[in-house]
Amino acid sequence: MRVITCCKAVPEAQDIVVTKDRQISIEKAEWKFGQYDLNAVEAGKQIVEAVGGQLSGLCAGGKILDNSKLRKDILSRGLDDLYVVMDEKMEQADTYQSAKVLEAAIQKMGDFDLVLCGAGSSDLYAQQVGNQLGELLGLPVVNAVNKITPEGDKIIVERTVENAIQVLEISLPAVFSVTSEINVPRIAGMKDIIAANKKSVSKFTLSEINADNLPNSSSEILSTMAPEQVDRRLNILEGESDEVIDAFVKLLSAELK
Amino acid sequence: MTVNNIWVITDDQNAVGELCDGGRQLGKQVSVILFSDQNRAQEAISSGADQVYLFGQAGESVMIEDYSKSIAELLRAEKADLVLVYSSIRGKLIAGRIATQLGISVLSNVSELTVDDGSIIVKHMVYGGAAIRTEKALTDTVVVTVGSGVFEAMPKDAARQGKVNEINPNVDNAGIRILETRPKQGELVNLSAAKRVVGVGRGFAAQEDLKMAEEFTALVGAEMACSRPIAEGEKWMSKERYVGVSGVVLKPDIYIALGISGQIQHMVGVNHAKTLVAINKDKNAPIFKQVDIGLVGDLYKVLPKIAEKIKAQN
Repeated sequence: MRVITCCKAVPEAQDIVVTKDRQISIEKAEWKFGQYDLNAVEAGKQIVEAVGGQLSGLCAGGKILDNSKLRKDILSRGLDDLYVVMDEKMEQADTYQSAKVLEAAIQKMGDFDLVLCGAGSSDLYAQQVGNQLGELLGLPVVNAVNKITPEGDKIIVERTVENAIQVLEISLPAVFSVTSEINVPRIAGMKDIIAANKKSVSKFTLSEINADNLPNSSSEILSTMAPEQVDRRLNILEGESDEVIDAFVKLLSAELK
Repeated sequence: MTVNNIWVITDDQNAVGELCDGGRQLGKQVSVILFSDQNRAQEAISSGADQVYLFGQAGESVMIEDYSKSIAELLRAEKADLVLVYSSIRGKLIAGRIATQLGISVLSNVSELTVDDGSIIVKHMVYGGAAIRTEKALTDTVVVTVGSGVFEAMPKDAARQGKVNEINPNVDNAGIRILETRPKQGELVNLSAAKRVVGVGRGFAAQEDLKMAEEFTALVGAEMACSRPIAEGEKWMSKERYVGVSGVVLKPDIYIALGISGQIQHMVGVNHAKTLVAINKDKNAPIFKQVDIGLVGDLYKVLPKIAEKIKAQN
């Protein structure tokens, strides 16, 4: 089975700096592949380990994808090869534009049985690229997939909707977005990291996948600002002595009345 | 562009009131798409719908998401200006599929929705809660997903009049069959309604140590919650109790964080707490920059003492 896992490189939220007037800066942020994407890579890896096949990674983004350390990191998580679509336009791509580009890239990548996405990207978390990609490809598409069991040319999945679990029988090829609970992504060992050096990386521009005419943006970004801070009292005690505990309990009890 | 025609799509009847209220605030005419029955349709009219489009159940093995193409055709024919889709799991998939049919993006999980000079403006969280982005929609039809709590349901008015249209949708042959639907195992908790919540994090070294937190939680009459690593990494607690950007967002009177460092992804879930309390042994933990009451100390040492003293008071 050939599985394609889509991944997005994002700036680490904890490295985002708030400058004056609630402006934010991502200039100093380290870029990593999204934490939810790692669940999709792991889910793909478990499928190819179970039934054989190939696991390809696909990512689209700006020039950050030239960073070989970043690419090696995702390759070391179990991918057999990686396809990269790099264009500045992708830096602000919306969900439909992203899905369009991934669709074009997938058509270039040849035959496949399953496309996997994470629960959402770690930066925008719109949770829509997988859904829109599946619809564009005209394939069965499901989100919130929490268990995957291949069965011949079909696949059985468990999908967690609010208070129920749906068991679905799905014909292949198909597109799934997996939950963040579907598995615990493995941590790459030294062997995996060394092996990642030898794995193939194919790079495309938008025109090489016939996607240079992106659809218009569906929205215009007016601002991106740090949330307004809630004023807190910052009444902080320190220590483990009876006096400190007494003082803390007094403060806490006043709140619990 | 004026915003006249608002559409509401939901698979959860409980969301109808709030979304209709949003629709009434933002536009003139509110049409609601439901996947249920006549009674529910009448209820939607009392809640503010002018029109209800009832998509009947095509069969137990058919997903309602497979009506997406029919829904998109309806939205196009009726010139929908704004489509408010309830952000349930199924709602999200429907939103993505119909937006694709319309050739546009979905504006997801919006926390605020306004109309300014004929343009639809939305706000939503980005970067794991580190920032709020404001966007202006540019498309003729705008598809957004909205959760509960963004709008407030108006009181129902049984005298309201409206029209119910029954639709026999085409089902896309999407290659998906529902074999079985079973209730989720385990407890159902509604943390977002809890007034007092105790959250536990990585400061607990082992699952059995949570006992200490459970006793404390019971003592202060709270519900227990946790940070992401406790629910998803360790699986010591159920996902329903995980608070944060991809989990539950709380609005309690008091939140007491035990051994939680205060990463932004967690804090967006508790920022609405009226009072924030934290116990953590690391004085430099980010949580101490945003609490009302804090105690820097080893929770294994201080928590039993605190519990004892509270017990003595009661």
